[in-house]
Amino acid sequence: MGKKKSVALIVLITVVLVGLLFLCITPTFPVKSPNSFRSLLSIVDLGRDLEGGYYTVYYPEGVISKAEYETLEAEYEYALSETEDGQTPSVDDPSENYAAYRGIYLSTDITNEAGTDVTEEFKSDFNNALDTIKDRYERMGMSDYSIYLQDDYTIRVEVPTPILESGESAYDGETDVQEMLTYFSYSGEILFTDATSASATGTAEMAGTSEYIRSVSTSNAGDQGYAVVINFTSAGREAFRTLTSSLVSSSSSSDSSSSSSATLYIYVGTHQILGATVSEEMDQDAVYITGGFSKRDAEMRAALLNTSISESDVFDLVFESPEYYTTEALLGDSTALIAAICIGVLVLAMLVFSAVKFKGMGLAHIYGFITYAVALIACISLIPGIQLTLGGIIGILLSSAIMVSCNYYAFNNIKKEFATGKTLTASIKAGYKKSLAFTIDVHAILILASLAVWLIATGAAKFMALIFLLGIAISALCTLVITRFYLYMFMAQPKNKLAFVGFRREETEDE
Amino acid sequence: MSKKLTLKQLLLLCLTISLAIIVAGAFLFGFLGFNPDSSTADYTSIEVADNNGTIVTDSNYRAALEDFCSSEIAVAGYDVSDVEYSPAPTGAAGRLEFILRGSVNEDEIAAFTEQLSAALAEESYGESGTLAEVGDTSVTYHSGVYVPHYEYIWRTAIGFGVALVLLFAYVAIRFKVGMGVVTLLAAVHDVLLTLGAIALFRIPAGPTVICVAVFALLISIFFNLKVFGKMRQDLRLEERKELPAREAVALSAKESRKGIFIAGILAAAALVVLAVVGLIVGFDLFSFMLGSLIAVIAATYSSLIFAPALYAVIKERSDARRAERAKYNYASEKARKKSEKQEAKQEG
Repeated sequence: MGKKKSVALIVLITVVLVGLLFLCITPTFPVKSPNSFRSLLSIVDLGRDLEGGYYTVYYPEGVISKAEYETLEAEYEYALSETEDGQTPSVDDPSENYAAYRGIYLSTDITNEAGTDVTEEFKSDFNNALDTIKDRYERMGMSDYSIYLQDDYTIRVEVPTPILESGESAYDGETDVQEMLTYFSYSGEILFTDATSASATGTAEMAGTSEYIRSVSTSNAGDQGYAVVINFTSAGREAFRTLTSSLVSSSSSSDSSSSSSATLYIYVGTHQILGATVSEEMDQDAVYITGGFSKRDAEMRAALLNTSISESDVFDLVFESPEYYTTEALLGDSTALIAAICIGVLVLAMLVFSAVKFKGMGLAHIYGFITYAVALIACISLIPGIQLTLGGIIGILLSSAIMVSCNYYAFNNIKKEFATGKTLTASIKAGYKKSLAFTIDVHAILILASLAVWLIATGAAKFMALIFLLGIAISALCTLVITRFYLYMFMAQPKNKLAFVGFRREETEDE
Repeated sequence: MSKKLTLKQLLLLCLTISLAIIVAGAFLFGFLGFNPDSSTADYTSIEVADNNGTIVTDSNYRAALEDFCSSEIAVAGYDVSDVEYSPAPTGAAGRLEFILRGSVNEDEIAAFTEQLSAALAEESYGESGTLAEVGDTSVTYHSGVYVPHYEYIWRTAIGFGVALVLLFAYVAIRFKVGMGVVTLLAAVHDVLLTLGAIALFRIPAGPTVICVAVFALLISIFFNLKVFGKMRQDLRLEERKELPAREAVALSAKESRKGIFIAGILAAAALVVLAVVGLIVGFDLFSFMLGSLIAVIAATYSSLIFAPALYAVIKERSDARRAERAKYNYASEKARKKSEKQEAKQEG
């Protein structure tokens, strides 16, 4: 590489890297009110451990919170004050209908004769509901969540902030979480009908039991967002054909226009979950229902439907539409920021060490590592579906350590080759050649291993494996190609190349 | 002879140490499970709900409420491990939850919540009224039991299995079958050792412990490949070919030490810094980082001691078998000639 070309490249790459670094790590600052500049690092989706999330408490029918009991008490006292002597107040005395139990109040409708605990029937229904609700959340594949049995008869669920898809705002994510927390409390069987409300009777109906439905999944429907896919059994396929046929014929008989279509609704218990237009008889193994759903939206509906197919999953207990609250990060506020600062300081120390130990080669390593860091931050923040948790931070640390280690290995090999008496250029070539097999092997097997974990695992391990996979893939590129290219670029500059890389040829005097 | 004994003794010692930790950890895990961290531990909490939303809109009120409740709880003799503030996203309500440490008598805490409720109704907050009036507070207590979920465990375990098969196949093809076997065993050993140590030393762990296991697997693969990469290179050298298996393996392992230590120190330094900063700032990073540090130590130990010792035994046996096969078998040659002669006589 010529000197001029090298200078131009160094300037260009330096400017690009500084610019990208600025985009990646600069703290948020106001640009033009009300806008503000947000770095790539600040838009990374964080998990429950680093950013917090939401929680709700499901109260089954017959169980109320203390706050609700106090409201009932206040209403009763007000009604009592408004009631004339000898008359019965319009509101029931809550102390007659409810009994305190731990932090909640149990209705006399669900307590046993002694009033000390709930009936066995309620217990059984509640346990069934708990299992089904747990299953629903398990199917969502979130990075982390917790379910607690609170005060024996309420269910507390804690979930992370949702992973935002491209174009989604934080408000969209919050709405989806609220919807999920509400949907997952729904009880009852699946029903396909054209009735517009649960209380109305449709012209045609089909039950969504395991006899008819095999499973419910999701699929990318391109411009129409994600689709909920209902997979029928052979009996279900026939029943659905009959249903759609009768819907179309009843709609054509009631509609004089040439084009006739009916709307088919899918209910879980009394709640409408999906709606689709049916314009012809449908005889197929699976039906795709679109509605501009986001991936999360479709997965949520699929999880709800999947856990309402089997008779053993369906529960009768009605849960109150939950209030939900935001929660702080499990590890404490600003953990992500502190972790980022710590890692930044460590990286800086490592880069200084590299420059001191390997001189010119260290400079190439600095540029290579910055390229790696910038690419990794860009991937984590811009690729949708990635959530950074503590596991992800460990994945980043490990992939960084591997990249640094592979570069050091190559530099040490160059040193050793130089010590055998080769020229500097030949040493670099031979050193890299010697390191090539190991570097490729390490990266290849780690890519394969993390790919397997990412594809199969769920929860925090999945997200950690994905972040490590990205890190190790970028590390492979930076170690095998980019750092080497930077080294050649820098080597074109100095007059004394040996001094630049910190090598010294030992003089041997002839006797 | 003494060297052979040393090698076997070393391997035996490694296996004994590892097995002792793994078995003791598994035993404790079987009886007690992991020591639950804050995300999985059962809890007893005192909840102060603000039904007006003043807690969300007025930070001074929130601070006053938290301070007052904290002091009342402390006076009552309860030990608060954490205070969690949860506002409703609409801003219409909010809650303060005081998570209590240790076991709590239910009757006593029920009586205390009534006392606290009464105290809030008496404690004035400036001219606006009492703390209870300003926020329309409601005080109660809760006890929560963590409901474990397992799908992520078995799916990650399957992922591990597939990763291990890929690891064995890759190393067996690119290196040697013996190295593939050892890398596979070392990876399993490191993951189990890490989890065993976490259970044994009662390091707090929640669902994120699965990430520590993944980390142990990945770092084990890296460190072992580093050693076997060096070994593969060295075993091609003429001077190393002449050395007995155990010496050649030990020499390569010794020469890999520097690289392993550098990578291990880099990873460990980051973990230690995060753990220490977490301790200073008050973040709950320590247990996770400690678990990861154990993974680094386990991988370093296995790649420098356990894996080379195991591979030396395998290589020694495979070398002996190869030498046996390469030997010219005079006895069988004599027997063959004899039988040929006998056959010729019979025919004659």
